[in-house]
Amino acid sequence: MARLPSAGASSGRRRRFSWLTALVWLAGGLVYLFLILPVFVIVLSAFSPEAYPQFPPAGFSLKWFSALLGSREWLDALWISVLLLIIVTPVTVVLGTLAAYAIARLDFRGRQALQSFMLSPLMIPQVVLGIGLLYVFTSTGLVGSLTGLAIGHVIVAFPYVIRSVGVSAANLDPRLEQASMSLGAGRVRTFFRITLPLLKPGIIAGAVFSAVTSFGEVSISLFVSAPSTVTIPVRIFNYIDQTFDPAVNAVSVIFILLAVIALMMIEKVIGLTKVM
Amino acid sequence: MKTRGSKWRKSGFHWLLISPSLLFLGLFLVVPFVLLAVLSFRDVDSLMNLLPTYSFAQYKEIFTSDIYLGTIGSTLWVALVTTAICIVLAYPAAYLLVRSPNRKLRTFFYILLVSPLLTSVVIRTFAWIVLLAQNGLVNEFLLKLHLIDQPLSLLWNMKAVIIAYVQVMLPFAVMPIATSLEDIRPNLRQASMSLGAGRIRTFARVTLPLTVPGMISGAAIVFSLAAGSYITPLLVGGRLQPLLPLAIYQQVMQISNLPLAAAMSFTLLILVAVVVGLLGLIMKRWEAKING
Repeated sequence: MARLPSAGASSGRRRRFSWLTALVWLAGGLVYLFLILPVFVIVLSAFSPEAYPQFPPAGFSLKWFSALLGSREWLDALWISVLLLIIVTPVTVVLGTLAAYAIARLDFRGRQALQSFMLSPLMIPQVVLGIGLLYVFTSTGLVGSLTGLAIGHVIVAFPYVIRSVGVSAANLDPRLEQASMSLGAGRVRTFFRITLPLLKPGIIAGAVFSAVTSFGEVSISLFVSAPSTVTIPVRIFNYIDQTFDPAVNAVSVIFILLAVIALMMIEKVIGLTKVM
Repeated sequence: MKTRGSKWRKSGFHWLLISPSLLFLGLFLVVPFVLLAVLSFRDVDSLMNLLPTYSFAQYKEIFTSDIYLGTIGSTLWVALVTTAICIVLAYPAAYLLVRSPNRKLRTFFYILLVSPLLTSVVIRTFAWIVLLAQNGLVNEFLLKLHLIDQPLSLLWNMKAVIIAYVQVMLPFAVMPIATSLEDIRPNLRQASMSLGAGRIRTFARVTLPLTVPGMISGAAIVFSLAAGSYITPLLVGGRLQPLLPLAIYQQVMQISNLPLAAAMSFTLLILVAVVVGLLGLIMKRWEAKING
């Protein structure tokens, strides 16, 4: 049992086979399989010619994709979703970046509490956020409007930007900014020339996460959207809840594809393992 | 150089940067909660119209009704079970992530871990319907293997809700555990093993205690998500499952007794806050103990 520890954890270390290690890897592998199983199932169903997928697949077909593209309703929903994403992402990134940077630099007693407050939409039950916004929007006439939806999405996406930019800001050496200012650059100029470029990895990760969050948001959208502002996830929800439309599989594949593209973007630009 | 004035000027700039966010969250997070809190004390008539009077009637209804108390109980139970399963499953997954022998494999595990987070919760839940339905893949598979004669009814019960919850929330538990595993200096384990402790003993005495904070912060996130979601239980469990978020949704969308819904929302919010607060307290104690 007690094997001698080899010097350093370098990859060149000779690995002796151990049942314990094998068992842990098997367990871990099964967990990852469980995680990815639903994605696998959806891809399988989307390309299946039948409404109810089979394993092994009975054939290959793109008919659910063409059904999707031929449907006015799905295209309308897609338009709303894309529009929201275009509004929500920049707003969230600007608000979140400024706030996360400021929290990292501010030094006062309530700092921790302030940060928890900014991250709180992640932990607050979404059904509660949903009816809270519904109630406020009903009295201000924002219910069912694109503005109302966008506000809801910004609130849910905000913590992701705070988190990812916060990590970048914590690693930012304040001496770099001091050097810039002692060389005569003003505070604002320093912020744009020194601070922002150094925060870039966190900002990109935050932008990807808030775009993806907005695009997939359903818990709050369900409360505050109207028939004219139905997003893709809300439409999917309605279809699953009321009827069964295999085109849902095709939409889902598009979602998964977008997620993979987003991941590859993060990996290319900063390296996945660095931002989380 | 550094006078009090310059310090104030410095932090003034940072307060300026944070003020738009504070304004936004104040308007659309704090104000709705305050209004919801006020609403929860309003009375309604039998047609669910708001009356101008205030009382504890809604809270009284929740805490004297066996149905609502049962709902609260099962909400807590489901969230607790989901959290426990998530933590147990997250541990080996986090271990693989941290101990991956090369970067490629590590990135691969990361993609497996993050991709569910990036697909909408409706889609992940939908996949479980496809899997667990009467004519779904699991039943079909079992029928083909002749393990069962009749399709099992796997959907529309609490078990289906928990399975879907675990899959939806597992990444939130893996991340903090992986972070705390990574923070352990390898020489601690090596020291333990070179002193003759076996791998299992080293794990139990060194690794596990040092990752407890990671497990607790994972548990806090999973618990609050599991206690507060309504999309997943609605779709795989059905409308009638006794869960507080579902009951709130029903009140708003169908019965439209808004004050009762608001009171239930605050009950849920407080339950989650108490559990998360307790977990935070345990974490503080534990860290104090470990760091001496």
